Amino acid sequence: MLAASAAALPVLLATAGCRSSDAFAGPDPLAGRPALSPDVITLQAVIAAEQAMIKLYQAAVNANLAATDRLRVLEGLLAQHRQHLGQLQARLVLPSGSPSAQASSSASAGVAPLQVTIARLRAAERASAADLVRRLVAVPPALAQLFASIAASDATHVVALGG
Amino acid sequence: MTRVMATSGPVSGPVSAVQALQAALAAEDAAIFGYGVAGAHLSGNRKSAAEQDWTAHNEARDTLSAMISAIGAAPTAGQAFYRLPFEVNDAASAAMLAAYLEEGVTRAYLGLVAVSDQRLRMFGALAMQVSAERAAFWRGSTEAFPGLEPS
Repeated sequence: MLAASAAALPVLLATAGCRSSDAFAGPDPLAGRPALSPDVITLQAVIAAEQAMIKLYQAAVNANLAATDRLRVLEGLLAQHRQHLGQLQARLVLPSGSPSAQASSSASAGVAPLQVTIARLRAAERASAADLVRRLVAVPPALAQLFASIAASDATHVVALGG
Repeated sequence: MTRVMATSGPVSGPVSAVQALQAALAAEDAAIFGYGVAGAHLSGNRKSAAEQDWTAHNEARDTLSAMISAIGAAPTAGQAFYRLPFEVNDAASAAMLAAYLEEGVTRAYLGLVAVSDQRLRMFGALAMQVSAERAAFWRGSTEAFPGLEPS
């Protein structure tokens, strides 16, 4: 839980299709499915990536990849990724039944059950940090700060994994 | 004037580039002072690590000063003395101080991520990765949200 994020970071709502006229506010029932704003699409992609990261860590933990000490480290990092996911998901509200919401959850379902090595985890953390930094230039300031903070956390994970 | 070593929390609204750069500069100045104190209580590899970090913060201060000058503002000079957040009298408290300093620097660079200039955002985001790594080293553990205040 973050005081700053809870207070300052706005929830991104799927952009509702609106009438061209200013006479009425709110969604136009005849406009079809609402378009999603670029920020929402970005956030969905980041959420999907975080879900994939969690699956990778879960696979590593379940495979008893590491000795006990290392396993504890992996579990700690996994817990922090779950915190990341919780904060990211808290920023997103999609209309129920939205196809994009379904796409978002299905995108993370197919992490290949390959052998997960520590090196692969390190590479995934590096890639995640780089992706977040690339994306944060184009989103609102408060979301950019959340991305930057998660990227910094990922960078520390690389070191914790011996990188 | 004596100041307590602390920096502002994350910034959520529109932030001026100069304001955010000055805040980062202030955090670097505080870190330079603090590492001088911490280093005196460390030995061996940890003293070497503190010296490396002190050097890195000096370089970062120079970089920030140049960036502030380049956009036509005057870099705010650091303080001669900073009041420590807690007593530092042994290696353990020195490491805690180093972690505290890096957390302050991380928060300050997070402020840069809120500015509209994309290059500055990226600069701040990359800089806070480095300070978060140093904080994790001195603290001995990682955090889920470096730079953001826990509730």
